[in-house]
Amino acid sequence: MASTTTTAAPAVEHGHGDGHAHHPRFQHHFVSMEQQFDSAKLGMWLFLITEILLFSGMFVAYTVYRVWHPEVFEVASEALNPFLGGLNTVVLLASSLTVALSIHFVQKDQIQKMNWMLLLTVLCAAIFMVVKYFEYTAKFEHGLYAGEAFHPHAGYEQFNIPYARQFFSIYFVMTGIHGVHVLIGMGMFTWLYTRGLRGHFSSEWYTPVELSGLYWHIVDLIWIFLFPLMYLI
Amino acid sequence: MAHDAHAHADGDHGHHIIPMPVLLKTFGGLIFLTILTVLTATQLDLGAFNVPLALAIACGKATLVIMFFMGLKYDNRVNTLTLVLGILFVLIFISFTLFDTAFRGDIGNVDTIPQEDRTRMEETLQQRDPGRAGLATSPADSLALEQNPLEETPAPAEEPAPETTEPEAAH
Repeated sequence: MASTTTTAAPAVEHGHGDGHAHHPRFQHHFVSMEQQFDSAKLGMWLFLITEILLFSGMFVAYTVYRVWHPEVFEVASEALNPFLGGLNTVVLLASSLTVALSIHFVQKDQIQKMNWMLLLTVLCAAIFMVVKYFEYTAKFEHGLYAGEAFHPHAGYEQFNIPYARQFFSIYFVMTGIHGVHVLIGMGMFTWLYTRGLRGHFSSEWYTPVELSGLYWHIVDLIWIFLFPLMYLI
Repeated sequence: MAHDAHAHADGDHGHHIIPMPVLLKTFGGLIFLTILTVLTATQLDLGAFNVPLALAIACGKATLVIMFFMGLKYDNRVNTLTLVLGILFVLIFISFTLFDTAFRGDIGNVDTIPQEDRTRMEETLQQRDPGRAGLATSPADSLALEQNPLEETPAPAEEPAPETTEPEAAH
């Protein structure tokens, strides 16, 4: 292997000589680019587990309160609009596809297509947040708030029942924290897009795209469970 | 391991490129399952099976995303192990919490006397004192009786109070 010649200067900024053996992104404490990539990916998976555990706390809260008051949750979930929820599901699934395609294209060195896919992902995320904005304001107009401020009125009096407040608190906290994740994702993919334009990525090295993609799919996964639990059943 | 084969492919790092048709089919499957879950939830009423069905479809969608979009099907097994362990801990979290909350009973009842004894005492008292004034065994009980007087004579709550300790002492 070429490893005998790499021992001289394996630092990050060096090794332009033969691009394959010393990629500028290659860090000296890894054996190979492959190992470096796999380590980063394992680290990302560990982070994603902490994300899953974060949301699982809220899913447990949902489960406990639903087991305690199943009939209240069924009535309260009728306040949510399944069409808008379904639309957002499709939008998020589409953005997951564009993320997967952006990785597909960068692996084939089709950088321009990758950039388009990253831009489409940001667009889908923005559509998701706009829909969410209209959903939230429609709830607020009728006094469907989280916690103490909860006072349904103006045609929503049927939700003024004991324990309905718990459903809406859980709804706003869960979808709110999920929405924060979508906003963070929008920032990440905008950043990736600008880096793509600057030619930072190639099939040799695209770790940020891969890891951000994994993050985005987890955000999608959370919504896959939130949608039926909140809007449908 | 496939890993070793990759390490030798110098330059071409050998990451599995998930074919475009696989990605598009995955997306199609996800859209199909989304429509399915909306239709089954709105058109069908399966009673107790509504929630399990919706969750089963959601799990199917999650599997598609994890296997093909996240590429776990083609990836290092250690990532799958990480995910499986994470899911295991989520299941422990949910089930052990439910062992508590679902079988907790009346959490507001902090009475040191068992409910059966309490009922028997009340019945004995009721027989001896149909006026119910003697049921005031604690300040809270006196308050409740004052606010919700079932009989015409609300005042003498203090007088028969010592009698109420008698059944307890008699044991």
